[in-house]
Amino acid sequence: MATSDVTRRVAAIEPPRWVSDNVGLFLVLPGLFFFLSFVAIPLVYLIGLSVTDATLGTMFRDAPGLWGTVFGEAQFVGVENYASLLADSQFYRSFGITWLFVATSVVGKVLLGVGLAMSLTHSWVRGKRAMRALVILPMGLPAIFTITVWRGVFSSAQFGLANQMLGALGIGSIAWFNSRWLAFATYNVAEMWLAYPFMVIITVSALQNVPTELHEAAKVDGAGFFHRFWHVTVPAIKRPVLFASILTAAASFQQFLIPFIFNRGGPARANELMLLYGYREAFTSGEIGEGSAIMLTAVAIIGLFMIVAATKGELAEGAHG
Amino acid sequence: MTLLSSIAQKIRADLRAIPEAIADWGKKSRYKIDLYRRGKIGALQLIAPVLATAGALVLVTALLFPVYWIALAALSGDGGSLYSASGFKLLPDGFNPALLVTEGDLWMGMDLSAFVWVIGDLVIPSLRISIPLTGLSIVTNEIVLFEAANYGVDNPSEFTHYAWNSLTVAIPTVILAMAVVVPASYALSRREFLMRKKVLYGYILFTQVGGGLGLAMLIAVFAIFAEFGLTNDKFALAVYYAAMAVPFNTWLLKTFMDSIPASYEEAAVMDGAPPWRVVWEIILPLSKAGLAAVFIFVFLTGWMEFIVAQTVLRPENYTLPVGLFALIDEYTVPWARFSAFALTFAAPLMFIYLFAQRYIESGLSFGGMEG
Repeated sequence: MATSDVTRRVAAIEPPRWVSDNVGLFLVLPGLFFFLSFVAIPLVYLIGLSVTDATLGTMFRDAPGLWGTVFGEAQFVGVENYASLLADSQFYRSFGITWLFVATSVVGKVLLGVGLAMSLTHSWVRGKRAMRALVILPMGLPAIFTITVWRGVFSSAQFGLANQMLGALGIGSIAWFNSRWLAFATYNVAEMWLAYPFMVIITVSALQNVPTELHEAAKVDGAGFFHRFWHVTVPAIKRPVLFASILTAAASFQQFLIPFIFNRGGPARANELMLLYGYREAFTSGEIGEGSAIMLTAVAIIGLFMIVAATKGELAEGAHG
Repeated sequence: MTLLSSIAQKIRADLRAIPEAIADWGKKSRYKIDLYRRGKIGALQLIAPVLATAGALVLVTALLFPVYWIALAALSGDGGSLYSASGFKLLPDGFNPALLVTEGDLWMGMDLSAFVWVIGDLVIPSLRISIPLTGLSIVTNEIVLFEAANYGVDNPSEFTHYAWNSLTVAIPTVILAMAVVVPASYALSRREFLMRKKVLYGYILFTQVGGGLGLAMLIAVFAIFAEFGLTNDKFALAVYYAAMAVPFNTWLLKTFMDSIPASYEEAAVMDGAPPWRVVWEIILPLSKAGLAAVFIFVFLTGWMEFIVAQTVLRPENYTLPVGLFALIDEYTVPWARFSAFALTFAAPLMFIYLFAQRYIESGLSFGGMEG
């Protein structure tokens, strides 16, 4: 009687084994729950909204029942929002321009980043360290600052830097944001400037891992610059640069601020990148349901990027900016 | 304080390294010229480094030119044009380093009125502190630190108001995020438990790839805020920022803690220290640099975020980024004033960031999953 009493008491004080084995889990869970509640709940709600005809006008009006509390006066419409997306020419335009932006900006970022990294690690260049420290400066600037400054650069007002440069060359002013492809080009320039420090850092650390003996040996064997680049440098930096390209492609796909601040994805909605398109439908046109469907499509694509990044491995090694 | 003194030491070492590097460079150049004179190397080998360095300098300068341009515009008073009938000018109007004295709103001959407009009036309001039970109260005088009107600027900007809003968003963000990040990163670094790898992997994946997920959910987040009447609520915004800051900062602090040798803990455990003392007296003091970095990054999340703040806040609660954007959408604001506003907002952040990068670097090398 007495012994069983003691064991019961001890059992009450001592936590069960699986608890003491997983103390760490209880330290991680608060943060994990906190984070997930701000991702999972909105995600579920977003899925819900995407199958209703919610608008800014109807969804906040109170209606009876659980459905009414959550979705207001909005009605369940099934996949109608998705069907109407597939019939909307603006959806295809936005989808197409987004992937084109991903392609052009990633190529630009890789070329600029690798080119810079190679010139700032070259043995001929003096003061490499100082220049490298200086050149990654854009990374420390808030995105909103960088993008508003670039909007000023391409402004057609008298102070616009790009037009002043053209003026100095004797070419007249250009209305950068009023032409579809010029505006698209300015997006690319700004995106390249935002992201090149990240590429430079990754490439420089990869280049520094190439043993100089390899280059020396290739030189002794009489390999020219291009041969050495192709057979010594490229194999060494291929994996990190490829991995950085996946990450930076995901970033390009999720670009919102550049089109939003430059000219709201204009002219005439020609350059509306995916997230801006969803934002516009939801907040400017008030079509919450349709905006949610667009955003969910974007979430699915971001999920694909995550899977690609995860399966390409190296996730942990891919240094981050 | 060991952190501060180690940073100071690194800065001193850096400062000493500059003249050394220049002297070293001079020595090497003399040696090369000597080699050339004696005919050991050709002219190409002598000139190539000079040309390559010059080329790299041109490249770096061109890339950073927009930043210089904005500084120039901010110092130009009201115009902000580089190019005029007389051609390009690469220095601010009236720039004259000989005039070190501040005269009116001129400093070294440059027009600082745009910055005066940004700062506006700095006033410590008069406070009334009542001492309980005595019925007495102390009334402090209003202290005017700076008055824009003295420098001929009426209607100063709302910079200080926005900065206060940003501060009241950023501080709760830091407190909330640190409260969950510190224990979690300790556990991820030091304990083995169920799902450990999965959690860490998920955090890294979100950090590296999912930057726009928060934005994609913006509609739902806004709707939830609106349902609960939390739009225009700075604290609700801080809670959201803190949640979004968890993955990156947990991972960052975990990599810092990984670099603390396990033998320190083992020694403490051998001496009979309970787990909480090991954490309190060994892990936390040794990860001060990491805590500082996480503090800075979380603070900056709250200080710099634009899109969500712009969607949920109304003008009286605008944070600095939203205030900056409101300026550029208002075409009547002169470009010089906008530039000064943007620079006053961004320059401190840039310095903090570069500083953290250089002097608290050990944790920024991002070890990752191993260990």
